[in-house]
Amino acid sequence: MTCSPENLLFALLAIPLASAVISGLFFRRSRWGAPIVSCTAALAILVAAVKLLFSLAPGETLHFSHNWLTLGSFNLNIGFLLDQNAATMLFVVSFVAFWIHIFSVGYMDDDAARGRFFTGLSIFMFSILGIVVADNLYMTFIFWELVGFSSYMLIAHYFDKDYAAMASKKAFITNRVGDLGFLVGIILCQVTYGTVSLAELGAAGVEKSTLIGLLLMCGFLGKSAQFPLHVWLTDAMAGPTPVSALIHAATMVAAGVFFMVRIFFLLTEPVLTVMLWGCAGMAALAGLCALGQTDIKKSLAYSPLSHLGFMGAAIGLGAPEIALLHMGMHAFFKATLFLCSGSVIHACHHEQDMTKMGGLWKKMPVTFVAFLVASLSICAFPWMAGWYSKDMILSKALLVGNYPALALLLLAALGSALYMGRMLQLVFLGKANSEHAAHAHESSAWMTLPLVVLGVVYSLGAGWSLLGDKVAWLGGKMTGLLPSASILSFAEEYHHLHEQLAEAGQVTLMLAVGVAILVIGLGGAIWFYRQTPGADALQRKFPKAYFVLEYRWMDTLYNAYIAKVQQPVANLLGLLDKVLINGIAVRGFGAGFPALLGLLSRRLLHTGNLHHYVFWFALGALLYGAVLLVDWANLFCCAQ
Amino acid sequence: MNCSELYLPLALGVPFVASLLLLVLGRRLPAALQTLTAGAGFLVPAALAVAAWAQFSCAMDPETGYAYLVNLPLGLQAMTGEAENKPVYLGLLLFMVSGLLGVFASVDIFFFYFFHEFALIPTFILMLYWGGLGRKVAAIQMAVYLTLGAMVSLAGIVLLVLWSGAGSFNLLKLKAELLAMPMEAGAQTVVFGLLLLGFGVLVSLFPFHSWAPDAYTEAPTPVSMLHAGVLKKFGLYGLIQLGALLLPAGLAHWAPVLFWLALGNILLIGFVTMSQRHLKSMLSYSSVMHMGPCFLGIFAFALSGGDTAGLGAAVMMMFAHGLSVALLFALSHAIYRRTGTLEFAENGGLAKYAPVLGGFFVAATMASIGLPGFANFWGELGIFVSLGQLPVWKLVLVVSSIVISAIYGLRAVAAVFFGPASENTAARGETIRDISPAERLVAVVLLAALVAVGFYPRLVSGSLDAALPKEFPPTAVGLRLCPHCGDAHATTGAHPEHP
Repeated sequence: MTCSPENLLFALLAIPLASAVISGLFFRRSRWGAPIVSCTAALAILVAAVKLLFSLAPGETLHFSHNWLTLGSFNLNIGFLLDQNAATMLFVVSFVAFWIHIFSVGYMDDDAARGRFFTGLSIFMFSILGIVVADNLYMTFIFWELVGFSSYMLIAHYFDKDYAAMASKKAFITNRVGDLGFLVGIILCQVTYGTVSLAELGAAGVEKSTLIGLLLMCGFLGKSAQFPLHVWLTDAMAGPTPVSALIHAATMVAAGVFFMVRIFFLLTEPVLTVMLWGCAGMAALAGLCALGQTDIKKSLAYSPLSHLGFMGAAIGLGAPEIALLHMGMHAFFKATLFLCSGSVIHACHHEQDMTKMGGLWKKMPVTFVAFLVASLSICAFPWMAGWYSKDMILSKALLVGNYPALALLLLAALGSALYMGRMLQLVFLGKANSEHAAHAHESSAWMTLPLVVLGVVYSLGAGWSLLGDKVAWLGGKMTGLLPSASILSFAEEYHHLHEQLAEAGQVTLMLAVGVAILVIGLGGAIWFYRQTPGADALQRKFPKAYFVLEYRWMDTLYNAYIAKVQQPVANLLGLLDKVLINGIAVRGFGAGFPALLGLLSRRLLHTGNLHHYVFWFALGALLYGAVLLVDWANLFCCAQ
Repeated sequence: MNCSELYLPLALGVPFVASLLLLVLGRRLPAALQTLTAGAGFLVPAALAVAAWAQFSCAMDPETGYAYLVNLPLGLQAMTGEAENKPVYLGLLLFMVSGLLGVFASVDIFFFYFFHEFALIPTFILMLYWGGLGRKVAAIQMAVYLTLGAMVSLAGIVLLVLWSGAGSFNLLKLKAELLAMPMEAGAQTVVFGLLLLGFGVLVSLFPFHSWAPDAYTEAPTPVSMLHAGVLKKFGLYGLIQLGALLLPAGLAHWAPVLFWLALGNILLIGFVTMSQRHLKSMLSYSSVMHMGPCFLGIFAFALSGGDTAGLGAAVMMMFAHGLSVALLFALSHAIYRRTGTLEFAENGGLAKYAPVLGGFFVAATMASIGLPGFANFWGELGIFVSLGQLPVWKLVLVVSSIVISAIYGLRAVAAVFFGPASENTAARGETIRDISPAERLVAVVLLAALVAVGFYPRLVSGSLDAALPKEFPPTAVGLRLCPHCGDAHATTGAHPEHP
């Protein structure tokens, strides 16, 4: 078999699938079997992906398609469409996933169900890669659902805990609500345009439809956890931390953004407006609500919510390439942050309450450095990965002249700096606030190596690849961090925007605003939270503000809907089904009809009166005779 | 002489003879011989189906092949399970099986009908003697209801034969006759109405479904598997073959009614399913709900003006639903063996003690709620896509079935397998063994079929698609529903008053 691009693309899907089957069927109980198989698969995927990307000339698009199912006029194809955007996503997914696989080997070393865990990871790889390379909407939907399933399976990893059982169910069902709109949108696409192939849709220059755009956006709202379907993401942290890092922070939730970028040419102005406000609002809200949680993972969970909001807002502002750029950069630093929290949790014997940590920087230096670099990156410290993308989104809002959106996004940026400062202070600085924290020690190399690669190298340097040969730092070597096929489209857009910004004379202004937010946010939070060791300062000083930021009302609302509306309606219908249909209609008829016949026969037929019997006999005989007569007459006439 | 000509008589004859042997001789047969007889009865049809498949690749239509194949796991389930007076029990099951195989092998409509009734008799007896606590009421209710439904459909069939002018019950002749000279619209309406009512009862079309949940909850597991999985499809098969394909104008007339009733299956029964607190009754209701999309596939045939996508997808869905519901019933029995109860409130945390059983149950649930990778998905997707011309709000109502089924499916998984162990489960914790080899074999066979088709749908769709349009060229249908209001409207498409 040759290494043609098509074969490589097939391999991208076949490898994780084979890995899932092998580790699921044969290494369920084995301690090392499943990790070895899965990590090898992840490495093979990375190699295949990189090989593919380096063989792809910049600007080249690969497209293959095969018929998979035909029923009447219904045709479904399985095919691959690898363009610049897909190349970016492909690299980010396979690269981050590989390092998280390595991290998982260390993190799950004391877990009895490693086989199931790694099987889940492999199924996830299969599904997400399917979304990335899918060339049509049906295929996207197929893998979209599968991603939802792998997420369900991995959130339910600790299934004997009530919260994990709840959270997995919630994640799947919420995603299905989004998928309902998504699927209807796809069907309308098929009916309206006669095709669901992305290549054909893009080439045909179809007439856009707001309805279809909004329906397809539902899929994004579910998968990328945007308002009003965002409630599942914070609960999804019930899964093991590597899962949170890979699926619920770096890649799967970003698939929604990726998809919206892919169908950007189908989106009308109203759809973009809805996206802009929904996502910018979510960015600001989630950025602040992260301050209202003491569980380290839950607090961190609001961060992807906020940054997915950033990406959605970038799409809404009409800069899909920048959204994608932020998606890529975000994947590196957000995965790092989650992995660091995993390292901390692992070291503190599964303690997740931040107020019980503190002073870990001395005990876990590698974790601390990686966390610090990733924090600075997420807070858009100049020339670090997050700065390039986040700053550009803010600049885009400024250039478009949309000041309310700019204000929301600035607030969100401030939120990021605040919660990162708070986390740094509560977890790493200060003094240890519990036994576990006092006796913590650095994690094994399985865990720290991914932190160094993803955290230090990529959170610091990924953005430099944008600059191309314009900067001679490190002899221009930093461009090698990302395959060139994957950076072309957004590098162009980045420089284009940058020029516009320079023409408007706002470069310095944006830089100054960014730095001011960073200093105020980070510094302010570190100063504020150092006052009450072992407790949350905001909760102590402003309990009401803290209560608002805990952000319970959306859950309360949905729970009330389920308990007060959905379930009572279901119970009522169940009762009606039993009483009205089964009871009165069916059994009533079943009992009533014979009873009626019995009544009639008692009153009319079996009366015991001889005259009546004679009457009925005579009537019957007459009728019979009449029928015979008519028949005979007919026969006679016809014979004539 | 070609020995493949013997396949059909053998496949029908062996279970029947085995059943007679077991019923007549019963315990007088040595135990080993009993097992051998029953095993042959279950195995031979499945083996012949595989042989036929291998030999002619696509010679058999999928329902038939599937009806033959499903015997294997069913037989395993029945033979390894515990039951009083087992020879008679197995004999009756084989009796049911041979009737059921006859249904799908018949080219003659009369025998098609006859074999269905033939299979209903042992169903009734099995339920009455081997069923659960409420078996008597459920069995009588089912027997009366289904017999009535079958009688109405028989009236439809007789009228169809009389009015078609074919003068024969032979399906091929009927088709040829009606293709050459369709019945007039009024006659089609009457016949299709009778068929819809009669077959609707048999397939549990809302609101004629109420026999199904009670019956499946109370029936012994193999009977639920066989009836919900295969025998029930008799009605849909009839409605497609005789109704949609032979009486398109009748379908067009009844289509709006069919749509709303099928939506009743999806929405109303979907909610009723959510309210169930007992695993087996939840599964029974869910099986009623899943008939909704199947009916909508038939409706789509009229909506699209003769596009067979909906019909093909409905058959696909029938096939997949049969497998998945049989699997779920088998697994629910396995759960019952371990925890002694199927009440959600008394179950919980079983996955800790029986992880593999839990895995199978999750997979089966995912199949039944239409996750890609399982056969059910193609059926659902095909049906939804074929309904694309509906107004958006109606389409949303139909597609909302994917949310409703996810809610009750995952709720059941969480209630039985996830969370901390319930009092009952914990008390039995020590004695609970994970899935046994026999149970595993049943589950693997069914699941493998679901996954194989889920990944490579052409295993089924190939022969299906080849069969459907050829039998009825779309141009000859001459029916179309107005896409705006969904009402029947001959040939012209939209109503003029709709822009």
